[in-house]
Amino acid sequence: MERRDNQSPLGETARILVEFLEVAITCIVFLKGVYHPGAFERRRYMNVVVQKARHPELREYIHSAVNGLLPFLQEGLVERVAVVFYNTENIPLERFIFKLSVNQSYGSKVEEANLEFSLRSFLIKLPVSEALTKVLPRDCRWEITAYFRSLPEASTSKDAELWIPTDTKQWLQPPLITPLKSMNSEPLCLQLYLEHPSQSEPKP
Amino acid sequence: MSFNSTRSANSGSRSKRSFNSLSSNPSSNGNNKKRKTTQKTLGVGWGSNSRSSSRSSFRNSPFSDFGSYMEVKNRKLQEQFNAEASSSSNSGSTSGKPIFQGVSIFVDGFTVPSSQELRGYMLKHGGRFENYFSRHHVTHIICSNLPDSKIKNLRSFSGGLPVVKPSWLMDSIAANKLLSWVPYQLDQIASEAHNQPKISVFFASESSLVSKDSETCVTGQIKPKLEDPSAKSGTIKETNLSESCGSMQHSEPTGREWDDSVGKNIARAVTQGPVCIERECSEGKSDKGSDVCTIGGNTGEIHDQASPSQPFVSVSSYITKRSTRPTVVEPSNWHRSTLHDPNFVENYFKSSRLHFIGTWRNRYRRRFPSFGYTSSSVNVSTRRTSIIHVDMDCFFVSVVIRKHSELQDKPVAICHSDNPRGTAEISSANYPARGYGVRAGMFLRDAKALCPHLVIFPYNFEAYEEVADQFYNILHKHCKRVQAVSCDEAFLDVTDAEVEDPQFLASVIRKEIFETTRCTASAGIAGNLLMARLATRAAKPDGQRYIPPEMVDDYLHELPIKELPGIGHVLEEKLMRRHIQTCGQLRRISKESLQKELGIKTGDMLWNYCRGIDNRLVGVIQESKSMGAEVNWGVRFNDLKDCHHFLMNLCKEVLLRLQGCAVQGRNFTLKIKKRRSDAEEPAKYMGCGDCENLSHSTTVPLATDDEDVIRRIMVQLFGSFHIDVKDIRGMGLQVSKLESTDTAKPGHERNSIRSWLTSASASTKEQHIIASLAKESANRDFGEQSIDVNQGWLSTDSTGPSVQIGTNLSNANVPLDQDSALPSIEDLDLGVVESLPPDLFAEINDMYGGKLNNMISKKKCQNVDVCNSLCSMLQGRVQVAINEVRESFGLDPDSANVISVEDKEDKYEVEKIHAEAVSGVEPSKAVISSSVPDKMDLMPSSLSQVDISVLQQLPEDLRVDVLGLLPAHRRPEGASFVALGATSKSESDKCPENQTGSINPILKKELWFGDPPEWVKKFKNSDCSVLRILADMYYKSGSTSCLSSILQRTLSDSKHFVNASSDAEEEAISCLCDLLQQYIELKIETDIEEVYVCFRLLRSRFTMRSEFVFQSYSLIYPRLQAFVRENYGGTLLISDGKD
Repeated sequence: MERRDNQSPLGETARILVEFLEVAITCIVFLKGVYHPGAFERRRYMNVVVQKARHPELREYIHSAVNGLLPFLQEGLVERVAVVFYNTENIPLERFIFKLSVNQSYGSKVEEANLEFSLRSFLIKLPVSEALTKVLPRDCRWEITAYFRSLPEASTSKDAELWIPTDTKQWLQPPLITPLKSMNSEPLCLQLYLEHPSQSEPKP
Repeated sequence: MSFNSTRSANSGSRSKRSFNSLSSNPSSNGNNKKRKTTQKTLGVGWGSNSRSSSRSSFRNSPFSDFGSYMEVKNRKLQEQFNAEASSSSNSGSTSGKPIFQGVSIFVDGFTVPSSQELRGYMLKHGGRFENYFSRHHVTHIICSNLPDSKIKNLRSFSGGLPVVKPSWLMDSIAANKLLSWVPYQLDQIASEAHNQPKISVFFASESSLVSKDSETCVTGQIKPKLEDPSAKSGTIKETNLSESCGSMQHSEPTGREWDDSVGKNIARAVTQGPVCIERECSEGKSDKGSDVCTIGGNTGEIHDQASPSQPFVSVSSYITKRSTRPTVVEPSNWHRSTLHDPNFVENYFKSSRLHFIGTWRNRYRRRFPSFGYTSSSVNVSTRRTSIIHVDMDCFFVSVVIRKHSELQDKPVAICHSDNPRGTAEISSANYPARGYGVRAGMFLRDAKALCPHLVIFPYNFEAYEEVADQFYNILHKHCKRVQAVSCDEAFLDVTDAEVEDPQFLASVIRKEIFETTRCTASAGIAGNLLMARLATRAAKPDGQRYIPPEMVDDYLHELPIKELPGIGHVLEEKLMRRHIQTCGQLRRISKESLQKELGIKTGDMLWNYCRGIDNRLVGVIQESKSMGAEVNWGVRFNDLKDCHHFLMNLCKEVLLRLQGCAVQGRNFTLKIKKRRSDAEEPAKYMGCGDCENLSHSTTVPLATDDEDVIRRIMVQLFGSFHIDVKDIRGMGLQVSKLESTDTAKPGHERNSIRSWLTSASASTKEQHIIASLAKESANRDFGEQSIDVNQGWLSTDSTGPSVQIGTNLSNANVPLDQDSALPSIEDLDLGVVESLPPDLFAEINDMYGGKLNNMISKKKCQNVDVCNSLCSMLQGRVQVAINEVRESFGLDPDSANVISVEDKEDKYEVEKIHAEAVSGVEPSKAVISSSVPDKMDLMPSSLSQVDISVLQQLPEDLRVDVLGLLPAHRRPEGASFVALGATSKSESDKCPENQTGSINPILKKELWFGDPPEWVKKFKNSDCSVLRILADMYYKSGSTSCLSSILQRTLSDSKHFVNASSDAEEEAISCLCDLLQQYIELKIETDIEEVYVCFRLLRSRFTMRSEFVFQSYSLIYPRLQAFVRENYGGTLLISDGKD
């Protein structure tokens, strides 16, 4: 995905971020055990052992979804990227939220190594935070949802059309939050936390 | 493949072995057990995943235990490596010898490039790559980052092997040869062992260094002597010295085996002086049975022994110097850049040679004020002028070594640092050193490479001043017209001198200089300044040369143009392009074409100079046109706050210089060196590297030297750069369009007011100093138990804020008072007035027709009453404190004795307090009583009228001032006496915290500003033990701004974490809540993880142990959730107990 504007510092940041998200989301899906462990293989990314999806469709879904975010990330439109696990009734059970903010006015060159170094900590933290997550029922599903600061105009890019409104139901009560990892490395500020339905949430 | 895993694997085999030795019966049962333990340790080492596989492999493997398994594994890995290497290197290298032959690396942890890539490089270039660390196979450890624990136990980690960054390999490959690993040493280690004196350190230890100099020499020569008869003792000593200095990176080859007692003796000898060394030598003799004894303080003899080829002269003198340093220097070891040293600017200029030279002129002018005769008095006589140019030979070196005759013909250089690998620049080198090719501006490590026995000395500015003064005294004695060029260089106009022959005069002067200063000088004699200077150049070193006018043409003809003053690289290059290299060639070019090409002035200058024409007159001083300060070394910022702090210090420095020369400026230029985006880390340690130079300037209508104005201008200018502070490598502030302060008329009246302010603040300072002195003495007397006494003293401290109010008030009055005649006498701040110097006071008293004096005496009577009552209160407190002391001493066997002593101290202290209270309270009372009505029209009547956004834009110090004003302002006026009593009482009871309660709503996050953050300062003085512990932990956890690590530290450190005393509890709870709330606000948006960690710690670990924290926690918890909801739309789930 080579773009002209990738040369700008923000483009560079966005590119690294997208790559990272792809890996991280794959790891989350692996962690939650939605698929058979054999569907993944061990790889090394940023010098950390990560999982890579072997099934082409799974890989393609994650790849296209995250890469579709690239133009919006560059514009700073994306506020959160969520990996939502929900049950057969489309009621979310657990959500992994990447809350991100990119400093749009950041001028100087992005230290790629620095940024990667910070992002690496997420990949290290993820596999060990399984204890904080909930055990999912057998036939649950998942999706990637992005929260935008404002709705992108359809005309801005073709990629926008890839994104469709979600069917997933929302929780009625504010969720419980468990932070997993935060980092703040100019120009990117990224936080990963878990959301679980609150106790007062009406049970289906 | 990390080091950890090998280690645990090793330990596994070790535990295995011990198990073997314990189990006595080799039954099958024992065998079973054996296998089990092996599996267990393996599990620990490799993680649970590998357990099953390892089990199966062990079942049918021929290995008896883990050790033999590892052996075989290593062997196999090596074989594989060899096989791969032979296949890949055949294709790769064409040259005979592969780069990394004999190098065997072990990669530890995460590196860029990764360990696999590095392995590939090693394969290709004939090196070895070890998968498991072994002291015997590995030659270099490659890593880019080490955890703290490994740094601390470096030796046990690395086994003494070099720990090098991966870029060493990469650069070596790029250079196609094996580079020295030394510059690539891991930064963490390099900085640890760095013996480059840090800038701030330099001056702290300067005097002690100088005083140790003689001693240094003595040991310096003893060393080779000892070395002669039995080489062993010499090396032993050296090793020991370097060990005792704690510097592990000594580059000289030193023997490893040494004996402890000798080492200690040497260390002691170094600190105790020559006598000890002598004794030590005789000890050495009795030990070794050689003829060392002859040393006995006989320097001349020693000198013969220390032949110039002895490399140990320099080495050992380092050692002594270094060993003197740590004692003085320890606490500020890390202050080497703007990041760490709050007083960086000040210290920087203190040890800057250029700064010394630059400011020397002012000093000179003060010293020889008669010197300025006007140029009109210089009659351009028909007589042939003769000018002598005198220049000291390598001034900076010869001054330092003038007292060491034995070093005169040895290569010596002056440098900040004596680290032989360092990138400090040689500042000056003497002629023997220049013979080796050592030049000023060269990196020390390069100089050391050229001349390994180069002796390095640090600057000694005091000596420079002394010699420069002697130098000028001599010049002024012989000649009335002296033009100082620099501290070691001057022109003399001897046309009218009594002595006819200038050559003779020059030789007299040189002789006298040598006799007085023990330093040589060279002189050039000619008809004008230019030729005299050129003549000196030819005369150096220690000579003189006369160029008569008829010789000028010949002399110049072959002279390379760059010898002419005023021709630098740029100009030289321009002329080179036109194939002009000598003055003779330059002469062929017409003046017009020179001027056209190079500008009118430069062209004119060149045309004149190459003909030996110089119309300048001796003694015409050029007024400096601009003044400024620039720092390009050690400038590194983390954030904007650092940068502003630095900027403010720079302002202060420039301001001092302006005031020193009594000038004010109108034009302000801020220069910034910005790291080029593609620039690498500079070769020079903490240097500026490849930079873009940016500058912005502004001109103000009225010349100023006012600190506040300049600061504001600077902040404004800085803002206009829009620059990432991390890229800043240097900053400079230049003030131009200077005007002399005396001529600036309107400034006069203002000056008198200014002096009010300064004297007021000075007097407060004085009081503070007295107070703190008294406090100290109290501390000394009462030992650790004097906390209560200190609180008693707080009443004197309480004058701080109130006097500041006074200052602010008069500050605000400045514009008013300039126009109107006089403030009414009631408006006068009597406290300030009283502390004025007597002459100023008399002046003001005259203005008011003597009323002032009456008023003050009246006030005094009232004050004494108040003070008396206050004092009795204080006395009571002191009594209490003393009683406590007595209790604490009660256990002592000679307690009676102590108490009687205490009693005496007691009376003395009380008297002191009395005096203190009188002087301390007076001004504050006066301030409150007289200033309140005035403030009414200047300050908004309530906090709600303050525009918060404006307030937040203010610089920090101003903001604090304003905030400090507001609550005081709200105090009911008129009740000043009562208010005074109440405040000092409440403040001695609690602490100044009660004020901040009202500030908090306005200034959020304020507690976390500053270094150390505000809260630390506040909590330190708090009554509540928990808060004090927290403040303590701030420092213990390495002054981090991260609350969670402070809390962690608290948990691990304080077992005695007890409940707060109940009296001040509410106060303390609100303090803690404020702290937490502000922390949440600070972090909630960017780092919810940190907030989460903090609160989980508080909840699970603190609340159970302390009721106090529990209450604070339950207070703050809803607020926390509100913040989380606002930012994340959810509730933070804080589970208890898990970890």
